[in-house]
Amino acid sequence: MTKEAISSNPSVLVIGGGPGGYVAAIRAAQLGASVTLVEKAEIGGTCLNRGCMPTKALLHSSEVYEAATGSAGIGIRANDISVDWEAVQGNRAKVTKTLTDGVRALLRANGVTVVAGEAVFTGPKTVKAGDRELTAEKIIIAAGSQPLIPGIPGLRESRACLDSTACLTLDHIPESLLVIGGGVIGIELGCVYRRFGAQVTVVEMLPKLLPLMDPELTALLRSKLESEGMEIHTEAQVTSVEDTPNGTKIRVKCPDGEKTFTAEKILVSVGRSANLAPLGLDRAGIAVENGFVKTNDFLETSVPGVYAIGDSNGKLMLAHAAMAMGEIAAENAMGAARIFDPATSPSCVYVGPEFAGVGYTEEQLKARGIEYKVGRFPTRANGRSLVEGCTEGMVKIIAGTKYGEILGVHILAPRATDLIAEAALAIRLEATLEELADTIHCHPTVTEAVRESALAAEGRAIHIPNRRKA
Amino acid sequence: MAKLIVMPKLGLTMTEGTIAKWLKKEGEDVQAGEPLFEVETDKLTNTIEAPEGGVLRKIIAEEGATIACLSGIAVIGAPQEDISALISGSAAPSSGEVPAAPADPAAPAAARPAGSRVVASPAAKKLAAEMGVDIALVPGTGPNGRITEGDVKSYRAAAPGPEVKASPLAAKIAGDLGLDLDTIPAKGRVMAQDILNHLEAGAAGQAAGPREETVNMNGMRKAIAKNMLASHMISPSVTFNLGIDMTRMKAMREELKNAGIQVSYTDLLVKFVAKALTEFPLLNCSVEDNKIIYKRYVNMGVAVALDNGLVVPNVTDADKKSLTEISAELRELAAAAREGRLPMDKLKGGTFTITNLGMYGIESFSPIINQPEVAILGVNTMADRVVAAGGEITVRPYMNLSLTADHRVVDGSVAAQFLQRVKTLMEHPALIIA
Repeated sequence: MTKEAISSNPSVLVIGGGPGGYVAAIRAAQLGASVTLVEKAEIGGTCLNRGCMPTKALLHSSEVYEAATGSAGIGIRANDISVDWEAVQGNRAKVTKTLTDGVRALLRANGVTVVAGEAVFTGPKTVKAGDRELTAEKIIIAAGSQPLIPGIPGLRESRACLDSTACLTLDHIPESLLVIGGGVIGIELGCVYRRFGAQVTVVEMLPKLLPLMDPELTALLRSKLESEGMEIHTEAQVTSVEDTPNGTKIRVKCPDGEKTFTAEKILVSVGRSANLAPLGLDRAGIAVENGFVKTNDFLETSVPGVYAIGDSNGKLMLAHAAMAMGEIAAENAMGAARIFDPATSPSCVYVGPEFAGVGYTEEQLKARGIEYKVGRFPTRANGRSLVEGCTEGMVKIIAGTKYGEILGVHILAPRATDLIAEAALAIRLEATLEELADTIHCHPTVTEAVRESALAAEGRAIHIPNRRKA
Repeated sequence: MAKLIVMPKLGLTMTEGTIAKWLKKEGEDVQAGEPLFEVETDKLTNTIEAPEGGVLRKIIAEEGATIACLSGIAVIGAPQEDISALISGSAAPSSGEVPAAPADPAAPAAARPAGSRVVASPAAKKLAAEMGVDIALVPGTGPNGRITEGDVKSYRAAAPGPEVKASPLAAKIAGDLGLDLDTIPAKGRVMAQDILNHLEAGAAGQAAGPREETVNMNGMRKAIAKNMLASHMISPSVTFNLGIDMTRMKAMREELKNAGIQVSYTDLLVKFVAKALTEFPLLNCSVEDNKIIYKRYVNMGVAVALDNGLVVPNVTDADKKSLTEISAELRELAAAAREGRLPMDKLKGGTFTITNLGMYGIESFSPIINQPEVAILGVNTMADRVVAAGGEITVRPYMNLSLTADHRVVDGSVAAQFLQRVKTLMEHPALIIA
């Protein structure tokens, strides 16, 4: 075993090569640090290998399949449409590989040394990775998370049980899939397999799906998903799982009594837990709280010079939030004092129609006692949405009563996940309804619905009748 | 027949008046002789009665507007009468300086001559307040330069953007709270949180309210400010202090009191100083264009403090009046001043002024001359003093007099001799009948 000092220059050690870690490594390198990144598996982390990107690849395949088989209404009749599952999976793997290769190249281009191995703290500023002991002036923990499997009797042992990682790489399309947990992961993967023909049932413990999202639009999406054949049960709790020769039986306590479902596969998507156990944080004296590394506003842990970002600190378990934190932690490690502000971090669900939100929901504002007004614009009144067959969506803007500052924007519409960037920028700039309304939006696009909803909040939408003021 | 109510001319020198308050609303019935409005001039506030009865059809000049004398300010008439002819062409701004609409609206700052009055429609004023626009900077294009709503809008549209970068929300909050974005510390662009931090810091410094408050001067305050500054510029003044042994004045006042005649020391001072002034015409004159105008009468001004300022009514021909006449007149003037019903003429034509701060224990001060007079006598507190008299240590009531005189005409020796004469008269009151 050799002990290596990383460099005589300011040294930064990043633990984990996911979206938080690789961004932190690149940013620290840009600022002149000598950077070492330790990754136990693949560069790109969950996002590129087992999360965002492979899911999107499957979603895209399923979307095209659905379009191909369901476009008679717009004059496209296609025969002999079939799914080559192997090719679908091949495409997923290819996309993943292209992206991770890209990240590797970026790290190399920025002079980041990548060390393969699982990092374990041996002291406040020393880490063991394989047979190497590394030390650095600053350490950024970006160790990510893994799917959580709840202790439901029979679940873990069941041959049907899949976590999100396994669900991405199935060797065939299951006939039926029961999803435990109606969050973003469950809904997106449920959507993939429903489109490919599986009978999909979602069981959610809470009264509503997608806990981060606007309830009003979530209800719209739920009806859409149900109309497409997804079976959804809320306030429902899986009590036991049992494999039988005729499939796996899942017992669920529903508001209207206990039900039993049979499914070929079960996707468990109830949440994720931070990968902390292997890190040996106690040897470094790094404090942990509620299963996450405790950090201050500057993302610094209880040990000065050691930062924790992304799923490791649990502030916001989203890839783009981890990336933002990665940049901030790297800059703070190099002497800045930036604060992570989650206010402009959007939440996105990549289903049909896409669903995105940024800022506050009405419920959050009510709880905070902030007075607000709401502007709504349905996609059925938006030309471009109509062309694309999206008539059940809506753009909803929530603004302060007094000054009209944009407090929240929630979009259920085609390409909502792209549209939401305008809303996030508006919030970042503290724009008011006026600025959104004063900005000319391209016609014909779905973005017009964003402007119209701002107008609606002021009772002057052009393309829908405005509600009379009481 | 409808009648145009005009800004009254309450004195020879009055050129304009400010509507302090309307006592009737538009559409209200008014009886002839009923109080209609209050007018504020540079001298006083007067209540004006309706010259005839009817309905107050139209208020042309809003509260706060300063209007030239004899310009229309309201119309009283029958309920249905056509009054449009009376309204047009009334309420000319007093300055007479009607700003032309600027050719280039982007350069509006020069539109209004300094010191000219702002006449604006109520809607324009409201809009300006909402927009955070200083209405005094808006060029008016309405009749006689009156500022309209449109003027405010075009001024705002043409005004260069704020030099300070601020988020739209921050700009709105600042506008709403009347905060100057310049004063808000921020790293770069001013954000809403910067304003909240600023307010919090301010609140920590001072528990209640903002640290500064800007209030427009009322008519009287503006007049005092203007007159005092003018006096300071016009008169090179010197102040002389002299202690008066008040033993005999005190005894005399007691004697009068015992005889049922109550007089104040101010009354006595008016009487004695008036006498001295007849002997020192240089202290009882005014200066105009290198000419000295000697007054062969003494109109003795006496400063009366009011809640929000002061006025100086004068006792006309004080040198020819008896002490009891002076006393009665002063009492009436002071009461009228406090009740805001001083006739304008009582505020004009003074030849000398007495101002008494003795009740506050003041021992010496340098009063400012009430133009166009050339001297003013400050009266200080009376207190027992240990003095040597005839080789003995005695305790006597003393009072300091502080005379400020205009050195253009009153040389030091003249001022000193006059003050000496006042002292002699007051220490030997029998001389008053000599």
